[in-house]
Amino acid sequence: MAEVHIIGQIIGASGFPQHILFCKWGVHTGGAWKLLSGVVEGQTQVDNPQNEEMAFWSHPIDIHFATKGLQGWPKLHLQVWHQDSFGRNELYSYGFLHIPSTPGTHSLLTPTWRPLGTWQEQISQMFVGGGPQLKSPSLIYGGADRYRLQTTSMGQVHLELTIIPRNFERYGVEC
Amino acid sequence: MASAASVFLLNVTGQIESAEFPEFDELYCKYCFVYGHDWAPTSGVEEGISQIASKNRNIKQEIVWNFPIEITFKSTNPYGWPQIVISVYGPDTFGNDVVRGYGAVHLPFTPGRHKKTIPLFVPESSSKLQKFTSWFTGRRPEFTDPKVVAQGDGREVTRVRSQGFLTLSFNVVTKDLKKLGYSNSPSEPPNPLMMSRP
Repeated sequence: MAEVHIIGQIIGASGFPQHILFCKWGVHTGGAWKLLSGVVEGQTQVDNPQNEEMAFWSHPIDIHFATKGLQGWPKLHLQVWHQDSFGRNELYSYGFLHIPSTPGTHSLLTPTWRPLGTWQEQISQMFVGGGPQLKSPSLIYGGADRYRLQTTSMGQVHLELTIIPRNFERYGVEC
Repeated sequence: MASAASVFLLNVTGQIESAEFPEFDELYCKYCFVYGHDWAPTSGVEEGISQIASKNRNIKQEIVWNFPIEITFKSTNPYGWPQIVISVYGPDTFGNDVVRGYGAVHLPFTPGRHKKTIPLFVPESSSKLQKFTSWFTGRRPEFTDPKVVAQGDGREVTRVRSQGFLTLSFNVVTKDLKKLGYSNSPSEPPNPLMMSRP
């Protein structure tokens, strides 16, 4: 079987309305993929940055997959949360990206979005926070049901990931 | 000599160049490495502690350490690729050493010269009472083992404040990665039309 290593960091986030942020992340793969070592989901630290432009998480990722095929190539999905001064957590945004298929180190920037809700919900969110959340996280990385949603743009998440495939050439796969 | 390779080597030379800390001065740093079970250092220095450096207000506001790093690792598997963990310390107003930043980054994966600027952060007290006692006693929260910043699990309970950046430079040489079937760079030069923005 061919193998893929995904190693790197979720560096941080910028462009959000408030700057005390943390992130929940997970990696989703198709059925042909087997996890050999590493963790495929987690949560970062909460950063309250001195420089209020960007929150830093420096969250390490180190995953080793074995695969029988290219279908279901790994996707990373993210949820950015905001923590207020009372310690309450509020969902800020969702985002996903395909793990790059080219070997080497990649600097990645992924845009994020959040569901809008009705105008009543938007007004209540302005005053008390909170806001609609997705019932199933598969909407984050799947395209099938997205058309039902109305969303608005949020900030971006910065990542640096290195992809090290193994034995792909043996099967004639060029990546 | 040309036996079938079962291990690959990662040789890294470089330096901890400097840091940007707008608020602090007279800082020193420590470094160490965190790596997986399959990895072992074969030569070089695994940890170090720098001189105490201060800013030069006339030239630039950076704190320069120019502190050397030289290490070689061997491994059979990229899983657990080594990370360098840096912690920066300096005196507070009473002259006690307190931590001013932790940071970690993976050693570069591809041969060549690499420059990295990493954010540094310190843990924060989790409650108002602890905030007050740490202010009152002048002791700020620290990680008992700086190596936790290179680990992903258990991070959800930490609250940090990022304050400052550190610049490192690396020269990387690898041996036998290709021979073991791993590719750490694109097979062809990347399409110039598809280059991502830096």
